[in-house]
Amino acid sequence: MTTLELNDIQGYLIRGYAHMMYSRFVYLQITDAEATKNWLAKSWKTMTTAEHIPKKDQISSTHLNIAFTYSGLEKLGLKTDNLGSFSREFRQGMVSPHRTRLLGDLGNSAPENWRWGGPFNKPIHLCLMVFGNDKEGDDDIEKDKIVCINYYELLKAHFAGNGLEEILFIDGQTQPENKEHFGFRDGISQPIIEGSGRVGPKDDVIKAGEFIFGYKNDFGVYPDTPLIRAEQGNLNLLPPDAEGSGLKDIGRNGSLMVMRQLEQNVKTFWSFMNEKTKNEDHSINVAESLKLAAKVIGRWQSGAPITLFPDKDPGVISDINDFGYAKFDKDGLKCPFGSHLRRTNPRDSVDDHGRKESLKLSNQHRIIRRARLYGEIFEGSPVNNVPNGEVGLLFCCFNADISRQFEFLQYTWANLPKTKELYNDPDPIIGVKEKTTAGEEQNFTVQDLPVSRTISDLPQVITVKGGDYFFFPSITVLRFLSTI
Amino acid sequence: MGQNSTTILVPIIKNKVDELLDLLAGINEGLAMGKPPLFEELNIIHFARWVVIDHGKSWINDPVERTPKLLFVVDYDGKETDLLRKLCTDSAELLDKVYAYCENFPILEKRTPDSRTAFLTNNVIKDAAVYIGAPGRTVRQIKDESNLRDFIRKYLDSTTWGNLSAQAIHQTIKNEVSSNGNFAFLDQKVKIPSVNWLGLIFLGIVLLVLLPLTIVLLLLVIVWVLVLHIFYERKDENFIRKRSQLNDKFMTELEKYEDFTSQNQFTQLVDMKEGKFRLFTIKAMFSLSKSLIKFVFVKGKLMGIPTIHFAKWVMFEENSRVLFFSNFDGSWQQYLGDFIDNSGWGLTGIFSNTKVFPKTNFLLTGGAYDEEHFLAWSRNSELVTNVWYSAYPHLSIKNINNNTKIRVQLMKSLSERQAAKFLKLI
Repeated sequence: MTTLELNDIQGYLIRGYAHMMYSRFVYLQITDAEATKNWLAKSWKTMTTAEHIPKKDQISSTHLNIAFTYSGLEKLGLKTDNLGSFSREFRQGMVSPHRTRLLGDLGNSAPENWRWGGPFNKPIHLCLMVFGNDKEGDDDIEKDKIVCINYYELLKAHFAGNGLEEILFIDGQTQPENKEHFGFRDGISQPIIEGSGRVGPKDDVIKAGEFIFGYKNDFGVYPDTPLIRAEQGNLNLLPPDAEGSGLKDIGRNGSLMVMRQLEQNVKTFWSFMNEKTKNEDHSINVAESLKLAAKVIGRWQSGAPITLFPDKDPGVISDINDFGYAKFDKDGLKCPFGSHLRRTNPRDSVDDHGRKESLKLSNQHRIIRRARLYGEIFEGSPVNNVPNGEVGLLFCCFNADISRQFEFLQYTWANLPKTKELYNDPDPIIGVKEKTTAGEEQNFTVQDLPVSRTISDLPQVITVKGGDYFFFPSITVLRFLSTI
Repeated sequence: MGQNSTTILVPIIKNKVDELLDLLAGINEGLAMGKPPLFEELNIIHFARWVVIDHGKSWINDPVERTPKLLFVVDYDGKETDLLRKLCTDSAELLDKVYAYCENFPILEKRTPDSRTAFLTNNVIKDAAVYIGAPGRTVRQIKDESNLRDFIRKYLDSTTWGNLSAQAIHQTIKNEVSSNGNFAFLDQKVKIPSVNWLGLIFLGIVLLVLLPLTIVLLLLVIVWVLVLHIFYERKDENFIRKRSQLNDKFMTELEKYEDFTSQNQFTQLVDMKEGKFRLFTIKAMFSLSKSLIKFVFVKGKLMGIPTIHFAKWVMFEENSRVLFFSNFDGSWQQYLGDFIDNSGWGLTGIFSNTKVFPKTNFLLTGGAYDEEHFLAWSRNSELVTNVWYSAYPHLSIKNINNNTKIRVQLMKSLSERQAAKFLKLI
């Protein structure tokens, strides 16, 4: 059994900080590498680790984590050979002609139109993740906000002195019921990292190497961790490569972090559901609209899986997650094959593979999700679908192999319209293109009796507004980086 | 009608490689912009590709100086002689443009359908093993059945079906289709290939009856693998790079040709390890693959992989080199991920006989199962596919096989249960 070195792993990789309802993601540039390294030499101690703190009152009211882009590590002074040992995806970043095609960032989601991370934006070097929680308040986001912002102001006062320049920040919020802006409870299903101390359904326990460098992954091999190939800095700080190459490992206890700012077009989403289910007199059929939306998502707004509750939302907030599709819904009559959740985590039902094989395949493409809401908190529904201003999700996930995990999910399981036996069905939430080519259809098929139904002309309900790939180093490596 | 695959390898005239590459790039760009190649009109070609090989350095720093060659790979309906004849007649203009840059192509005045055909025929190289995802399906049939499925789908969506029985709906669809002039092809009966259980049972009985011989055979295989391990595997030079350590420029070049539609191509070139022992092992693996492809992998899955349309292995230059080609659905990552899970044994058995492969033990462990190194090896030995054509880029192999099922079931008389199953296909 693997045991993780929790005190060396930055906390956000292992914990979602759900009690910290307010957070600020600050994107910065390094203007003076020496000053930044001096700051790192002290600040690595202030980064929140994944160590379990049993007594609630001993948990700090603020949390801080840090991640670097490729150009950030370069600016900091990591040598070319060492930079070159990172994975190609991380080195290239989220924007390249091929990657843009793969991720489906076209039309209004094209990087040229992004707010950050795109070719016309100032390059991002690092991201500071600042969290706050008012320990007196009880799930009070306004109070958490004050704590978070105060901490941010404290940090910000030293940005210039630490050689940092703020490019932008995005405030990420959570709700007590964890509902996103379309109105659905989110973040229920997470892989359980072996050795993290968390417990849960056996099928959800994933080898640590799928998410953290330096441990074996689901294939029984070590992930492609960045190694020191050109000597620099205080190498005594770094652990050796677990695979035994004799090189020092800069990846161990770290991960790769994907961030994408996804605008949610709430009105488009619900107008479409309403339109497709309207009564004969054209009035909104709320129940049917909710049901179609639940089929599109894969869960009801409460979070209850439609696989187990096919007829209507049981209403109470649900965290039910221990279920399979093969077992309860082989034919997709409850949760359609094309639904967002079924296709991005098909559990025990991948294509026509058996249950065991399916679980194995599903688990080779898992990610740890850490999405937070931005914009004015809004809970969409068929009759309430006009939020105040732009709203969306600051999507964030951790994985050790961006290509096999995040990009695979976005491309193979979400963008490609051929999941299961489907023909023209992209992921209805994250796979729909703004414009189709001649003759191309974008449908959602609802498996039904006696015949399945086609819900045609899916609209794009997510617009990508920014994004980047980050390295999320261990505490030790932060310390090492200060010595390069 | 049966499907065939042909590989044609021709040396390129010295100093003409760059011009040829430009021409091929132009053709490929045309394809990407929806301009079909001349041979599309033949309506018998499923997939085709042109690949320039031995241009630049070999990936394992092979010291041999090699002449650049042009590889043409085509998967089609009918016989090779018919295909080449048609290509040399109806697509002569395109062929002439391309092969004008190649050695021994008839000079302008002597170009006739006959001389071109003779040229191509002379340069055909033999396949080692060919896999077809939808055996028996012609281009025509694939397109017809796709139209049929789309028609039925639209028809089903055009009205509500209330409480009609599945049988009644099946009959209604049948009537609707029959009254449509576009589907006259339905009069032709087609069969869906099935696993040859009888043959397999027969083989099992033979092996049982000849039990002593079977045991000897098994022992031989065991001894073989032991010898392989002790005298060969342990001395192999292994591939030890990971994906992060591959050449960036080359990766970017490969990516230029990928992920435009939901189908992709893969071309790979590797060198055989020296010696008869390795040659015998790979040939034995090809024979095994060929039998399995013929008797077992007939329903759209190659060693459990459900995404391949056409794939094949070719040995050339006196069995010293191996080419692998594939036309498949989805992304490179999924393709190889699938390989590892379902067919690591087959891939290891074949490719560990080629130079600089991830370390194997007794042909059973390591190799393709060593995920990170295998992915890197595979990507590293890949070649740029200069021109790639697919006759039906919008169809997955699952779609194609499903469409045939729909067609066959549509024309049958079905019980209520069968009819319900039929409706699920659409």
